Amino acid sequence: MQILPGTLDLLILKAVSLKPLHGYGVLLRIKQISGEALDIPQGSLYPALYRLEHQELITAEWAPSDNNRRAKFYTLTAAGRRRLKEETAGWNRMSAAIEAALRTTPEEV
Amino acid sequence: MLQRVRALLSRRRFEENMSEELRFHLQQYAEDLVRSGVPLAAAERQARLELGLNTVKEECREARGLYWFDELARQVRHALRLLRKSPGFTATALATLAICLGANLAIFAVIDSVLLRSLPFPAAERLVTIYNTYPKAGVDRDGSSVTNYYERRGQLPAFSSLSIYREREVIVGEPGSTEKVPILAVSPEFFETVGVLPVRGRAFREEETTFETDQVAILTHACWQRRFNADPEILGRQFRVNARKITVVGVLPADFRFLSSGVQFFAPFASNPEERTARQRHSGGNRKYIVARLKPGATLSEAQAQIDSHNAALEAGSPQAKMLAEAGFRSVAVGLHEDHVATIRPTLWLLQAGVAVLLSIGIVNLANLLLIRANGRMKEMAVRQALGAGRRQIVIEVLVETTLLTLLGGLLGCAVGAGGVQLLASLGASQLPLGAQVVFDARAAWVALLAALALGVILAWPVAWFSVRDNALRGESRGATISAAAQRLRHALIVAEIALAFVLLASGGLLGLSLNRAMAVSPGFRPNHVLTGQILLPWTSYAEPAIRYSFVDELTRQVEAQPGVVAAGLVTNVPFSGHSGKSAATVKGHVSHPGESPRGSYSYAVAGNYFAAMGFVLHAGRFLASDERERNCVVDADFAQFYWPNGNALGQQLYSGSDATGQPYTVVGVVGPVKQAGLTDAVAQGAVYYPYRYRPEGELYLVARTATPPETLARTLQKVVRGLDPDLPLTDIRSMEARIDDSLLTRRSPAFLAGLFSAIALLLTTIGTYGVLSYAVVQRRREIAVRMALGARPNQIRSQYLALALRLLAAGLALGLAGAWVSGQAMQAVLFQVPALHPFVLGGAAGVLALACLAACLLPSHRAARTSPMEALAEN
Repeated sequence: MQILPGTLDLLILKAVSLKPLHGYGVLLRIKQISGEALDIPQGSLYPALYRLEHQELITAEWAPSDNNRRAKFYTLTAAGRRRLKEETAGWNRMSAAIEAALRTTPEEV
Repeated sequence: MLQRVRALLSRRRFEENMSEELRFHLQQYAEDLVRSGVPLAAAERQARLELGLNTVKEECREARGLYWFDELARQVRHALRLLRKSPGFTATALATLAICLGANLAIFAVIDSVLLRSLPFPAAERLVTIYNTYPKAGVDRDGSSVTNYYERRGQLPAFSSLSIYREREVIVGEPGSTEKVPILAVSPEFFETVGVLPVRGRAFREEETTFETDQVAILTHACWQRRFNADPEILGRQFRVNARKITVVGVLPADFRFLSSGVQFFAPFASNPEERTARQRHSGGNRKYIVARLKPGATLSEAQAQIDSHNAALEAGSPQAKMLAEAGFRSVAVGLHEDHVATIRPTLWLLQAGVAVLLSIGIVNLANLLLIRANGRMKEMAVRQALGAGRRQIVIEVLVETTLLTLLGGLLGCAVGAGGVQLLASLGASQLPLGAQVVFDARAAWVALLAALALGVILAWPVAWFSVRDNALRGESRGATISAAAQRLRHALIVAEIALAFVLLASGGLLGLSLNRAMAVSPGFRPNHVLTGQILLPWTSYAEPAIRYSFVDELTRQVEAQPGVVAAGLVTNVPFSGHSGKSAATVKGHVSHPGESPRGSYSYAVAGNYFAAMGFVLHAGRFLASDERERNCVVDADFAQFYWPNGNALGQQLYSGSDATGQPYTVVGVVGPVKQAGLTDAVAQGAVYYPYRYRPEGELYLVARTATPPETLARTLQKVVRGLDPDLPLTDIRSMEARIDDSLLTRRSPAFLAGLFSAIALLLTTIGTYGVLSYAVVQRRREIAVRMALGARPNQIRSQYLALALRLLAAGLALGLAGAWVSGQAMQAVLFQVPALHPFVLGGAAGVLALACLAACLLPSHRAARTSPMEALAEN
């Protein structure tokens, strides 16, 4: 399943908020936490990461990976944490509204 | 923004990190694929494909704000390629910019150093000078007297400090190796007034202002370094000045410089009690000046009011009060810096205006060349727009190309400007007030680059406008109808260029004519073959008038005995010396009629055969004899005409001074008037020549008329003077013609520069006209071809372009005439006997411009007339 437009940043922030991750790790983590349902196009992941880093929502640090190779690990900043909270709340309101709208029956109109 | 700059600085690290991160990703993904059973080669290929490496990198850079940098670099490379492709245009544009910007920079560097930068003292804007003026007596400026200083200091509440200084020359060194050195004698509070104290030692003290106690000196940094090898034990060391031992009590900081003076050291301003009395209040003379510091908050007009009422209180009831009022006496306070550069300010601004006009011509020319170039590329631009290139993209492209061009021009302009400053220095800029400080520095370079940048942006707009108009494709399509708006603009620019060039040519012509008229003025004597040099008799060894007189007598005889010397004499003030030396003379029996002002006349003491040596004209009576023993004098024709209009000057008597006291002198001769201050000196104030025996002053000029070129005798004269007194140097040795030449410096150099600017303007205008006309021909090639195919003769075609050139010329000249009138009016202050509009000058300027325009027209019209219809029509 392709992700909805505009939700990539939210998913990245969420993935990184759980544990510092390198770029490939973010890809795997999103797949994992969405129950293998969401597929991120690899080409758009890194520009998104660079954009978020540029906006100082995440920071990066070089560290050894699981198999002891040098990798760039991303962590959430305080501003990123705030943004994640806002976006999550926004998403919840939106999905609740859409859900409510879709549940409507002819009698309720 | 800051982040963007940082990103640029760490650009390489960014690229390396990004590559490593993406490589890591590819490896991990490929390994995962291999683990799921894909062969290694296929896995690597798939990983690379899914990521889309290059696109990702580009997007990552953009996400980090690096897009602009890359884009700009690309644009600059593109623009450089375009500029290289048309070397003729690029070279013309760069040369235009380099010369026009460089000329502006060089003049600006002078204006900046001389007029704009404040003097190197703390709160320098509060420093003022006060001088006495007696305008109705013909003495506009008389410095200040010692009495003025003693009466004013501490008495004027607007000033926190007030001091006096005197420019002097002294003889320094051991017998046989002496030299004349300029110094300043200053009152004790002088360094406090200007706000800079000695870095070693102390300032002068009040008790050091008498001739018994003034044997102390404060050295400039340069003098301490050079003369004393920067001796750390300098305080207390002694050296020989005017044959006396002087003790060093202080050293000034390295950057200390008072106005333009190249003084080596400072001495106390000593005076006798007699010089400080009310009787001497108006003995200002030329080289004593007051400098004072306004209190914070006090204004110049407050200070002026206090000086006026202080003067009025002092002179109330004094016997000379009436005479002073008639002479229009006043003491004027004026800003020190402003006053120091007052004489040169109009000329400098005039030159700046001249180069600004030159720059305008250059800009107009460049705009035209750029427009023509843009027109040539219009089709390309239109096609690109049709293919989807954004307007923004094209505008940015034009902007980058134009600013790149002007920035390169600005860099070259800096080089031209630096050279120009050298040229100006050799033209005499370094002799201007504060002129020695003129430098081409980083400040000027920054101004140049900023101006170049602004110029690029300004020039880009019309070009960009014509490049993105939506009818561009239609306008350049097969119809061959050229864009009327673009053509109108190009023609308007040429008209403006011709008009500006005309203004420059006419102004240059006026300056040249003014110089010519000044040079045609007779100085009143025969200046060829006259050598002059200055001698300073130190009062320590020449205290007795008799000693001075016998020295002068002996010197004249020995000089006249030299082979090649025709006649020799001495005078206390040689014409064109730069000193005016006016004082009052009272004619016996003269009753001043009501409203007549007291007059200051030039007064000279002469010895030897001064009149013969200078080549004076004798009107009546005789010259003073070489050993004139009687109390006789000679006056000039202006003086005689004023006091004895009936021509009976001979035998009349006069007193030196402003009242009839002492013994009178008898007039024995009337000589022709000479110019003292300069050839353009208009005031006929009169002059009196006294025998040196009766006025044996210490400052003398030796004057020798020679049979050979005068400069060849310089060493001989020096040797004669040294032979008489090994302590005495003969300095400032120049022929009289050189003195006159130097006095014309502020006229000759601007005239030369105006001529140079005019020549450049003419060249630019010719290039501009040629460019526009030949473009018009290229544009209308098809039209011309059709007309010729239909039977038009080559001459008709040729005269069509000639007519166009003449129309542009006529419009430009009409506009330029108005400009020339305005500039002529503005230049009146620096012109000598030349009206704002001079028919000969205007006609000459118009003629030269017409020739240039016709020359520019010849080649294009010829080319138009030789258009081959077959070829031109076949091209499309």
